Amino acid sequence: MKAFQSNLSKLEGADTQVLGVSMDSPFSNFAFAQQNGVTFPLLGDFGGKVTREYGLAKNYDIEGVSLESARRATFLIDKSGKITHEQVDNEAVDPTKTVDACVRPKMKS
Amino acid sequence: MCNKPLQWVMMFLLACSLLAPPVSQSAWAADKKSPAKAEAPMKLKVGDMAPNFTLLAFDGHDLKKVSLSDFRGKKDVVLAFYVFAFTGG
Repeated sequence: MKAFQSNLSKLEGADTQVLGVSMDSPFSNFAFAQQNGVTFPLLGDFGGKVTREYGLAKNYDIEGVSLESARRATFLIDKSGKITHEQVDNEAVDPTKTVDACVRPKMKS
Repeated sequence: MCNKPLQWVMMFLLACSLLAPPVSQSAWAADKKSPAKAEAPMKLKVGDMAPNFTLLAFDGHDLKKVSLSDFRGKKDVVLAFYVFAFTGG
């Protein structure tokens, strides 16, 4: 989320709203945002309904304990609600491609 | 009689050829998983409509509803799913 925060002025300049989502509660996400200086909303999908709807629920095995959480993924969604760009798993760690995809069309017009 | 050692060598080679492919295949599969590539295909593809949702965000005082449809016709949205809070990234 820090990577998005450091690109936030670029993204907001391109008329883009950034939203983070995880299967944490909104309260822990707020504390996480504060700790990391994140100023965009971090939404709490506790229960995982939206994560499952987006096909991103995954079972993680952590020390032999099975936990369901989201795969790391970034979607760029245009004003009509259509997905125009997506990155998943390790390729979603660095948001540069998403930032470029969202800034580029604006520069052309 | 004199080709008995040869038989052993042949059997050894045969055993190797039977055993080797699965081993090298699994090593290759493990290798393919580790680089920065998607682990499984995505359910939603570029060009699909993003499913609408309403979730809660906490701003320190209030819980606020945020829906994807709030931005319809107004702004592009970067929707970033992450694994867990406080786990870096």
